[in-house]
Amino acid sequence: MRAIQRVEPTAWARLVLFVAVFLIFSWRDDRFFSTNNVFTIFEGFAFLGLASLAVGVTIIAGELDLSVGSAAAVSGIIAVSVVEEIGLVPTVLLAILIGTAYGSLQGYLVYRLRIQSLVFTLGTLIGLRGLAFIISGENTVVMKNLEIAHTVRRQLWIFSPFSLVTLACFVLVALLLINTRFGREIYAIGGGRQEAAAAGVPLVRPLVLAFAISGAMAAVTGALTSIKSGSAGPAAFETLLLPAATAALIGGVSLLGGRGSVFGIAIGALTLRFINSGLSLGGAPFYILTLATGIVLIVAVVLELLIGRPELRARWRRWRNEGGLGLRPRHQTAS
Amino acid sequence: MSTAEMSVVEPSWTWRRASVPLAVGGAVVGLALVGWLTTPEFVTYRNFQSIVRSAALIGIIAVTMTGITMAGSFFSLSVSQTAAMAAIGFAAFMSWGWPVWAAVLLTFIIAAAVGATQGGAVALGGNPIVVTLAVGAVLFGLGAWLTDNKTVRTGTDAADWIGTSRPLGVPTQTWAFVVITVIAATVLARARFGRELTLVGANRLAAAASGLRPGRTTVYVFTVSSLGAALAGIFTASQFGQGRLDQFDGADIDSIAAILVGGAAIQGGEGSAMRTAVGAVFIAGLQNLMVLRGFSFGVRILFVGLAILVSVSAFTVLRNRRQLT
Repeated sequence: MRAIQRVEPTAWARLVLFVAVFLIFSWRDDRFFSTNNVFTIFEGFAFLGLASLAVGVTIIAGELDLSVGSAAAVSGIIAVSVVEEIGLVPTVLLAILIGTAYGSLQGYLVYRLRIQSLVFTLGTLIGLRGLAFIISGENTVVMKNLEIAHTVRRQLWIFSPFSLVTLACFVLVALLLINTRFGREIYAIGGGRQEAAAAGVPLVRPLVLAFAISGAMAAVTGALTSIKSGSAGPAAFETLLLPAATAALIGGVSLLGGRGSVFGIAIGALTLRFINSGLSLGGAPFYILTLATGIVLIVAVVLELLIGRPELRARWRRWRNEGGLGLRPRHQTAS
Repeated sequence: MSTAEMSVVEPSWTWRRASVPLAVGGAVVGLALVGWLTTPEFVTYRNFQSIVRSAALIGIIAVTMTGITMAGSFFSLSVSQTAAMAAIGFAAFMSWGWPVWAAVLLTFIIAAAVGATQGGAVALGGNPIVVTLAVGAVLFGLGAWLTDNKTVRTGTDAADWIGTSRPLGVPTQTWAFVVITVIAATVLARARFGRELTLVGANRLAAAASGLRPGRTTVYVFTVSSLGAALAGIFTASQFGQGRLDQFDGADIDSIAAILVGGAAIQGGEGSAMRTAVGAVFIAGLQNLMVLRGFSFGVRILFVGLAILVSVSAFTVLRNRRQLT
């Protein structure tokens, strides 16, 4: 029941958008609905979804973690370097451990120094990128044994181990946010920091948790994406923030903090993947995908502005009632 | 008017007000000392010149972006794409045989429009980070689409002097950096516009209540930032005779780093163009020293990141303490 309550009214609008995008592309291209393509979409979702979850959770907490791309790069290099010796499952667990530790420390410092996370994570964004270059020796790290890469991307109907891990992460984070006190505190400090503090929420717990989730999710994305491709470059994931933030925002996470759901983030990531996948099937080059993502983000921002600012809507209505561009007869406002 | 302004008026010099500038100055002196003690060739006029030259383009972008931070709109994440688009546009206009002045003018007009649009979106309540991230993506996509993701050559040497001449032995980029810093510092600290945007950044509601127009100020600061990025693009395009989309990769992060190391308050209402310029020179000097010491690329980036972490943490702690006393 709680899960349903968390889904806001506008979630239906997003669900409609999601289905519409899906139908448009599947109608225009019958390959779109094939098992293979759905599998590809889920693979992309696995890559993008965890990153959006990382960014989204910190936005819900009223913060922003800019360092997800660099954290994913560091994690990817570590994972590719060790996976052949310690095996796949221990590597993923190690990534989660390192990501959680890094995120917790970052969250604690943001709390302790009372610093804006935007500023602090800009420092870690640059610093971790440097670390990625150092530990990789400024070269792409490559796996010799590609068996493991095949294991990660093996197709099981429309899923792969990668997308199954992603779905599991989504379920876990959703349970954490909805059903635990700590998780609900993230919403509380995001919606109104001072009110939450006045009501006795200790800021340190939700801040550490939000950044820990963010660090862990970034690390899992980095590790699994890199293992899947069999290599990890120090400059990888540099542009991860754009699609991740876009997916979170079209998934209904409010930039004001305190609003958004894991389910919404999943819908947002899937919608963005549909758009990208549809465009790719049409043969569009990569920069068209960036262009499309940027346009989608602008539309999301404009919609949030219109929804969040009733006076803008009122002004628009007034302007229309006053005749607008003069193309339609003037309406009488009921007095 | 008076009550809102009263609250931000303090005596012109106090230890509390001076703590951030002193910290910035201390960092620069510290870097110079370390350099002097460890690496003799670091503290020479020649090397200083090359540091300032390498800081110039990022410095121009950062100094012109300082207004955005001071006016409370954080930063712009679209300046690298704006600079790259300006470089491409300028190179294309030159290759069509346009006179230099026309190419420069049209590049600036387009950049101003792009900046004003973002400022308008932020003024209406859009989050500056997200708005500029989105516009940056659209600019990149459009740029790649229009150029087919290829390098655009000017095909003429008519504009080379902009990027390669050295009046009085100093490169044009350094001249522009110095002149723009002096102008920006004067405007931000002394002129009416600078005072207004400081108040808008310190307290938007109070600024609106005292008859200022925060929305208009926001549009102006984004326009100025965009123009600064375009200037950097024109310099690069004329220096190398070409415009390329990835020419300014990372320029946004680097210029934000300069602003932060210069001690501008991310919440707005505090900052200085002069200190941003010092921040840009500091980072360039740190990079230069590490290159002279033979540090690898990764180590250099790591140290720049650490320098940012340490400085922003120190400034935040200084400011928080200031508010408590």
